[in-house]
Amino acid sequence: MNVTVFGATGVVGRALLPLLAEHELTAVSRSPRDEPGARWVVADAATGEGVAEALADADVAYYLVHSLGSRDFAEQDRAAAETVAREAASAGVRQIVYLGGLGADGPDASAHLRSRRETGERLASAGVPVTTLRAAMIVGKGSAAFETILGLVKRLPVMVTPSWVSTPTQPIALDDVARYLAGVCGREAAFGEGYDTGGPEVMTYRQMIERIAALLGRKPTIVEVPVLTPYLSSLWLNLVTPVNASVARPLIEGLRNPTIAREERIRTLLPLELTPFDEAARMALA
Amino acid sequence: MNGWETSERVLESGGFESRQRVLVPERVVEASEAGARTLGVTYWQAVDRFTRGGVRASWTGGGGKLKLVGGATLLTFGPPELSFDDDLVSCRHAIQGGLLALRAGGAVTLAQRPEREQQELTVTVEEYLPRLAARAGSPPWTGMLYAKVQSPFHAAVSRRYFEQLVRSRAS
Repeated sequence: MNVTVFGATGVVGRALLPLLAEHELTAVSRSPRDEPGARWVVADAATGEGVAEALADADVAYYLVHSLGSRDFAEQDRAAAETVAREAASAGVRQIVYLGGLGADGPDASAHLRSRRETGERLASAGVPVTTLRAAMIVGKGSAAFETILGLVKRLPVMVTPSWVSTPTQPIALDDVARYLAGVCGREAAFGEGYDTGGPEVMTYRQMIERIAALLGRKPTIVEVPVLTPYLSSLWLNLVTPVNASVARPLIEGLRNPTIAREERIRTLLPLELTPFDEAARMALA
Repeated sequence: MNGWETSERVLESGGFESRQRVLVPERVVEASEAGARTLGVTYWQAVDRFTRGGVRASWTGGGGKLKLVGGATLLTFGPPELSFDDDLVSCRHAIQGGLLALRAGGAVTLAQRPEREQQELTVTVEEYLPRLAARAGSPPWTGMLYAKVQSPFHAAVSRRYFEQLVRSRAS
């Protein structure tokens, strides 16, 4: 099959490309690249430039793009998704595979999670079947959410955290997300379907912090306060972690609501052995 | 969503049993660990939303707490006990204490089970000893806070919970 990957240079895209090696692979980036394993093309989903060329002859398109960090990320993501949806339909693409966010369906979902959901809807707007995989935090090197937690653990012996650190989540290893993404490639049973892809363990962010700290040989003191707003939290994270406030804020807003899998159909479709959290974190820290 | 019923009675043991139920046309969660866990997590979210954040659910490794903003712990719960098969999907939390419990004991169970052609969703609290309820032999007015505040509050939260489950199924 001919497979095009938008967002090929991102954390998930990098992990996915080797798993699609059996296909004729087109990797899309916004600047010229020439790396083995794929035909690299320059395209920008946000402007539409080069998108039609990237999708020419494609059977399956992966959409791993987001504009988190931009002031108007939701609008940019909507526009980019519509462009890719339209061009994919024109090119006769049979399936779009999209990685969205878990917990995106509540009325009080964060702007980030609402945007992830809208992106999925826009991708489906031109008639190409979309396969949506929904994930909570991805545990892997370079994952913004994981790096945020890691930054906190590494820098602070005492953490003042919002009460949302007691919200449950179901982090998944980067490799596992990549294997699920690769597994649905061209699989007709997955056309037009959405799947929750949780990791093997449900935990709170507080537990996650403590477990990462243990792997690093640290034991931070965590003090929960009920009044730390997402805005203040993001400014504070900007100070103490390598993650930019504009990226951290939408992520923090998302911590208010549990992000756990509501269903496990993906495990029937693709019965993979999932990576335990500590092992995934250890690989990310290596 | 129809068939709303709420009932409450005092058991021979002195504990309270409270049950709310509705009927829905189809399953709102699947028969799996994730489905059972969703029944529980959605309930705590419903409490949070109903009180507009005034009462927050706080999870810990072994279970969870319902806390008033400001820090007072109203109830503490044990870890979720999840069950799932074709006849029953449920999430049970043992009640371990807190300001609203006279002592540890009892449980809250969130469940989905087939009821003829429909599915029954229930919230059941059993063998709970509310601190605010009247003690045996005490005048009824001593239990006014429970009868007029906590009990209706619980029923209202359950109703919101059912609505939330159905809405999330539809989305």
